[in-house]
Amino acid sequence: MSELLKLNNIETYIGQYHILQGVSVEVKKGEVTVLLGRNGAGKTTTLRTIMGLNPASKGSVVYKGEEIQALPTYTIAQKGIGYVPEDQGIFAGLTVEENMKVAIQKENEETNKRLDYILNLFPDLQKFWKKPGGLLSGGQKQMLSIARAYVNDNELLLIDEPSKGLAPIVVEKVMESILQMKDQTTIVLVEQNFMMASTIGDCFYIIDDGRTVSNGTMKQLKEDEEMKRKYLGIA
Amino acid sequence: MELLFNLTLNGLATGMLIFLLAAGLTLIFGLMDVLNFAHGGLFAWGAYSGIWIYTTTGSFLIGIFGAILTGFLLGIITEKWIIKPVYGNHVQQILITLGLMLVLSEMLKVIWGPNQLTANPPEYLKGSWEIGDIIIIKYRVFIIFVGLLVFAGVQFLLKNTKIGLVVRAGVMNKEMVQALGINIKKVFMFVFMIGSGMAALGGVLFGPYSGVIHAGMGMEFAILAFIVVVIGGMGNFTGSVMAAILVGLSGSFMAYYVPELSLAVNMLLMAIVLIVKPQGLFGGKG
Amino acid sequence: MKWIVNNRMNAIYIIIAAFLFLLPFVYESRNMLILLTQIFVFAILAMSYDLLLGFTGIVSFGHAMFFGIGAYSIGIFMKRLEPTMLHFIYAVLATILITAIVSFIVGLLTLRLKSHFYAMLTMALAGLFLVLAEKWRTLTFGNDGFTFRVPELFIDRTNFYIICLVSMIAVFMILKRFTNSPLGRVLQAIRENEQRTESLGYQVLHYKIAASVVSGVLAGIAGIFYAMSLRYVNTSVFAMDITLDALLMTIIGGVGTLVGAIIGAGLIEFAHDGLTELAKEHWIFERWIIFFGIIYILVVIFFPLGIVGTLRKFTWIRKKQHPAKKKENLAG
Repeated sequence: MSELLKLNNIETYIGQYHILQGVSVEVKKGEVTVLLGRNGAGKTTTLRTIMGLNPASKGSVVYKGEEIQALPTYTIAQKGIGYVPEDQGIFAGLTVEENMKVAIQKENEETNKRLDYILNLFPDLQKFWKKPGGLLSGGQKQMLSIARAYVNDNELLLIDEPSKGLAPIVVEKVMESILQMKDQTTIVLVEQNFMMASTIGDCFYIIDDGRTVSNGTMKQLKEDEEMKRKYLGIA
Repeated sequence: MELLFNLTLNGLATGMLIFLLAAGLTLIFGLMDVLNFAHGGLFAWGAYSGIWIYTTTGSFLIGIFGAILTGFLLGIITEKWIIKPVYGNHVQQILITLGLMLVLSEMLKVIWGPNQLTANPPEYLKGSWEIGDIIIIKYRVFIIFVGLLVFAGVQFLLKNTKIGLVVRAGVMNKEMVQALGINIKKVFMFVFMIGSGMAALGGVLFGPYSGVIHAGMGMEFAILAFIVVVIGGMGNFTGSVMAAILVGLSGSFMAYYVPELSLAVNMLLMAIVLIVKPQGLFGGKG
Repeated sequence: MKWIVNNRMNAIYIIIAAFLFLLPFVYESRNMLILLTQIFVFAILAMSYDLLLGFTGIVSFGHAMFFGIGAYSIGIFMKRLEPTMLHFIYAVLATILITAIVSFIVGLLTLRLKSHFYAMLTMALAGLFLVLAEKWRTLTFGNDGFTFRVPELFIDRTNFYIICLVSMIAVFMILKRFTNSPLGRVLQAIRENEQRTESLGYQVLHYKIAASVVSGVLAGIAGIFYAMSLRYVNTSVFAMDITLDALLMTIIGGVGTLVGAIIGAGLIEFAHDGLTELAKEHWIFERWIIFFGIIYILVVIFFPLGIVGTLRKFTWIRKKQHPAKKKENLAG
């Protein structure tokens, strides 16, 4: 399998804070790569750096063989990278329908098909089609955010902590939907919920203090008690 | 009864003029976080260029379109060369737009001279209708009509077009709009252009309404527009029209009953809003 | 090394001050005296503005309001009562009281919000004061304004010149002290990063209001001197032009430096004077303010540090390069 995305020793500053101090990640096509690590380790910033929201000051981001670290966010998104931020980034005053309309880049058969698919996956969105995004429940917001990222023909989805603040039953639903989408697209997932991460993920990277400190397949991680204790605080 | 009616009509007309200025101000602020202190200058430029074209060609309609075009052009220039270099720096932005205000008003004096110009409504908008005791001045009705038309047009644009949706989305979350593959800089330019066009339209309509125009009028109206933007909620388009009507009406009634206090009352209203509900009287952003 | 540089700066200041003190006794030009007095007065205004903009990062568009309060206070006291020193002191106290209260209220209302609000509210309030001065004819005589007499001490132009010069130097030194004090350091921390300052446990709002009050009071004092220099006051003291002058002086001279405000005041007043002369030659110079507007915009975009700030940056870079050069020499 070939790499779709490659981060080479990325360093990123936010203001004067040196958040990422050397993050290297390889994302293989068709796989779910999970970024793990403590709070504040730099997982979210890694996704934001890929999107160009916090551009890297050193290192390179290579997507499909092209360096994208210096491109503006909207160009990166147009290249086929969908982003589901930690706070979901729902336009609260816009209805579900309008949220989707803003997201859709090209209106054609293909997009309509994807829209139908995602609405079948998340029937709640269809139910609240004309309701303002701000009035949705946490889980529904998550679904809307995922739907927005999915509806364009994106080859890569960056999903930041989809389970955060959701009830266990909703987490399961979101997890199922990501598992379904897994067949069609490559995913980079930031996740604190180890159950979810280990179920969905194919391989993992651990980020600690702004550096990638370890990586491997999910199977390896599951068996490595030492690693889990050291970086993830689970025994 | 007649008095009440006329004061109301007058207040509504003034309110619509303030709305045309405040609407652009609030949209630009909501989307770009830029408070354009030069907006009053665009209002004055609309008045001068529009009235000049109107007196030269003899057609009020051409004058109006000329003013809007001037507004568009100045808006594009302002965004590209004055605002863009200092995006993201609040203090610099505030400072630079005031500098632009200064240059714009002085330029008016350079081109059209320092004295005020007179302006009259065209024949078909002169005079008034009389219904019983009530005298309705045509031109005021015309202003209200145009104001409502612009409001409806912009509302339609915001609700039913893709770019309108993007503008509203951008007011709520700029970053996410870009992460969805939209070049927000282009949207900025568009909104700046529309906002400036509306301000210029307000200016040219104001000309025949007051009878004279002068270079300082931009600043006077800008202050009212700021009050409206605060009361209506910064970034809130529908809030701005309601607040503009409120300020217009209170101005018109106060000017009749206690003229000394007319600005003071609006200021007081703004101060109260700032204390109680700094996000504006009419809900949050949206 | 550092204290030599500092002392050198102080020595330059002292020489210039001494020169200005001696000037009226060696060079007798009434016009020059009046112009310099005007510069000192506006330097006080510009420095008060710099405290807000340069040291705290607050933009006021209504500084004329405080200036005008001072000007009208002195005018009204001198006109209504006898022009004695006692009444002069009353006027000063009244100015301090009113400007302090107004700036406190404005600060309380807007300084917890985004910076736009302070700019907007001050601008609108200044507009309100302008209207008030126009309408309250029994007290202000409306647009025409009124003349008044000043206490004996201030009648002589040379005396008044010295008094304004001393006041300017005093304000400069007080503000220098103030900005270097722990409180001043907090203000600068606010300018650099408000949230961080807040999270360090400082009540940012209190500090910002303090800066707003000090600045307002000093602008009021400048207004007193301004009105006394003309012995006349009208509504123009509340006009936007005064605020713009303060803004131009501070920005062009260099924000956050205090000296910049003085230099800016000198430049603008001299240029104002010169261009008014030129206006007799060509009408375009009547619109002199347009040149300043353009220069101002260019300065904000390209030299946001102003004259003094830009100069300092260069000397600072030079100083930084020295050790590197030495190393090269050693290596060679």
